[in-house]
Amino acid sequence: MHLSNARSTRQFTGKSDYPARTVKVALLVLLGLSQLPSSIHAQEGVAGSVKRGGVIRYGHFQEPACLFGGWVQQWYLQRQYSDNLVARSEDGKIVPWLAESWTISDDKKIYTFEIKPNVKFTDGTSLDAQAIADNINGWLSSAPDLRNPTAAPYLSDSFESATAIAPLKLQVTLKVPFQPLLNVFAQSSQGILSPSALKRGLAVNCENPVGSGPFIVDKWRHGREVTFRRNPDYNSAPATAKHQGPAYIDGISWKFLPDQTVRYGSFIAGETDAIYDIPAIAWKEANSRFPLLRHITGGTPLRLALYTARPPFDDVLVRKAFAYSTDRKAAVDTSFLGSLPFEGNGALSQSSPEYLPELGQSYTYDIRKANQLLDQAGWTERNPSGVRVKNGNPLIVRVSYSNAFLKPDGEQALQVIQQQARAAGFDVRLQPTNPADFFAGKNLGPDDYEIVLLYWVAPGAEIFRISWKPDQKGETNRFNPSRYQDLTLWDIIQRAEQELNGAQRVALYQQAERKIVDEAPVIGLTVLDVTLATKPNLKDVWLDRGSVGEPVFYDAHFDDGK
Amino acid sequence: MFAEATVSRSLKEVLAIVGHVPFRVAACLIIIGLFALAAVAPKVLQTHDPLAIDLRSSLQSPSIAHWLGTDQLGRDLYSRVVEGAGQSLAIGLGATALSMSIAIVFGVAAAISGGVCDSILSRIVDMLFAIPTLLLALVFVTVFGPSVLTEVIAVGISTAPGYARMIRGQVLAIKGTGYVEAAKVLGHPFPRIVWRHILPNAMNPLTAMMTIGVGQAIIWASGLAFLGLGVAPPAPEWGALLNAGRNYVIYAWWLEIIPGLAVTAFALSLTIIGRHLQDRLEGKT
Repeated sequence: MHLSNARSTRQFTGKSDYPARTVKVALLVLLGLSQLPSSIHAQEGVAGSVKRGGVIRYGHFQEPACLFGGWVQQWYLQRQYSDNLVARSEDGKIVPWLAESWTISDDKKIYTFEIKPNVKFTDGTSLDAQAIADNINGWLSSAPDLRNPTAAPYLSDSFESATAIAPLKLQVTLKVPFQPLLNVFAQSSQGILSPSALKRGLAVNCENPVGSGPFIVDKWRHGREVTFRRNPDYNSAPATAKHQGPAYIDGISWKFLPDQTVRYGSFIAGETDAIYDIPAIAWKEANSRFPLLRHITGGTPLRLALYTARPPFDDVLVRKAFAYSTDRKAAVDTSFLGSLPFEGNGALSQSSPEYLPELGQSYTYDIRKANQLLDQAGWTERNPSGVRVKNGNPLIVRVSYSNAFLKPDGEQALQVIQQQARAAGFDVRLQPTNPADFFAGKNLGPDDYEIVLLYWVAPGAEIFRISWKPDQKGETNRFNPSRYQDLTLWDIIQRAEQELNGAQRVALYQQAERKIVDEAPVIGLTVLDVTLATKPNLKDVWLDRGSVGEPVFYDAHFDDGK
Repeated sequence: MFAEATVSRSLKEVLAIVGHVPFRVAACLIIIGLFALAAVAPKVLQTHDPLAIDLRSSLQSPSIAHWLGTDQLGRDLYSRVVEGAGQSLAIGLGATALSMSIAIVFGVAAAISGGVCDSILSRIVDMLFAIPTLLLALVFVTVFGPSVLTEVIAVGISTAPGYARMIRGQVLAIKGTGYVEAAKVLGHPFPRIVWRHILPNAMNPLTAMMTIGVGQAIIWASGLAFLGLGVAPPAPEWGALLNAGRNYVIYAWWLEIIPGLAVTAFALSLTIIGRHLQDRLEGKT
């Protein structure tokens, strides 16, 4: 691959990695500029007819330990009070947010962002290029109070520096090209926080983070709710928003209602205006009664990660046999009552641009094939319980999971898998683990499981870096629970990340995707979705497309004068 | 002739006893008997394999085919409740036995030793008593992991302080009675006095409490399972059934109501029997 050393710059507001990008970029800039005044005009019109005020009572699932961080449950919250450098639109394009525009050098190593003027954090600190540079440098530093657990794994190999080259001009320099950079910047976990506030330390910021977003964290009543109030000076909405200026509503009462029946019950009873994650059993009813929003998250699907570093799953034949032995589609269809589709492609979510639909039905139920593969792998004997035995060792498969990652319906699906796999001679043992223990590493040690159920959300195939980066210099990739180390796969992924041509990059990612599915270190189970039910009188709530599908209440308003 | 007379007299005695048993107690005895049968020989009562998944019969309401309906995976709820009786009863009986054993050691040792030793043991019991039962059990299960054994130990340890305090009081009262003093004067060895005179008399009033305790232990264990800290799926322990059913309570009431009724019926029956025993032992009836 040839990389030009010339650092000529081209300005654009969309993804730049397609052929003839110069012309496209110029057109997009013109398009963006031409839309700006009319957009504002239209928004004023909307604002004029929109009734302001009211507090949205929102029922959410899980409560994190900190109001920002690497877990998606933290991203939902951070999306409400912080702004990102760029945003990602529904069609996957990167569009302006705090950065009004940007240029990328020909060698894809230098990104120069023009920052929106007159933006302030809610503590009064100016949001300028220096503030953003401080954030980005902090994410990649070793300072525990500043390091970003989402950004660091993506950028640690490629990031060199972030510098304010002018008060409103930010330059990010990479050591090697990393094409998904803007996608990473668009994720809510990379929301920009006030550098002045960050100096207070992690403990204080966890409780009361300060951003520049449409809402301000008012109070966190642990175990109950986080209350947000409107930022009256908000002037930095993303290009994906439906209006500019402050939010229409006065605030959000973000209640933590972990039990899905209680959560849905609160919605039906009128105690909440919007809720997260409709229970599978109520899906049909909710569809007929309320406006629903749904986003299938990018990155990985909910999948079974098979521990490949020791028997029995160090043998690809046994991994495939396990996949064939279970009718995962029937398990998902029954357990989720049709509310969530089966996903046989364990490598990548179907909402990722690089997704290959033909892999979506991989390893469909075939008990004969499963038995053949196990015989071939030497698991020919069975004990009196019907469990296969090899060299005196029974074919035991311990499945670790937590309800932090698995809905109650998902546990039912595991029980189906448990029973089905038994017919092929697997002794599947479920290891439910409460979230606190799970995050502390219980049932996740090298000798603790054969399968673990996990997901990782991301806009697209950049997730491969997180999942499949081999251990290097004695440093274990803790995001690879399969412990599958394949240098050929890693080489393909790195080539994709550095590929300047968009089509070729997608082809490389798809090559990696095929290899992952073929080697079966992970087996797909179901897509991971974000669903939101809203009351009919609550208008213009939408889901962010950065990756997770966070609810966005910035444009929301009540239409009955509430 | 002699044998006939004996049988006849025994039958009369049994009938007389049964005749004196109030109806509510008799009903409770039948309920406990059925649960005991379910625990010992579940297959006698089951109509289906409690673990057999039948995806075509998902979430069926009670019917002739499935007396108490089916769960989301089409498993027969009646057969699962019957199957769960074994684990639930094992937890209840095991936890109460453990709890009593701990309580006897602490209570008797404190009461007999007296002085500083009594004070120390009593303060330990007081400290344990200050910690809520469920919290203590939660900590234990969290540290040692969920299983039937850890549930038994967790509930047993958590409920022991209450019994220990009662046993200490009983032993203290009996220690000063005339017949114990008489045994001492007659030169009986002290361990024998404890074994023959103090313990049996101290335990009498606790028999009723133990009966009630079994039901209470089952409720505690069900509570742990309801919080996801019970036995691993697909075991149909009653608390686990309650936990699984709560997600469907609006649309499939039987999944929550039936296991709840099983726990309630069993615990209530034991409580009624325990109260009756208590009254009988205290000479009220």
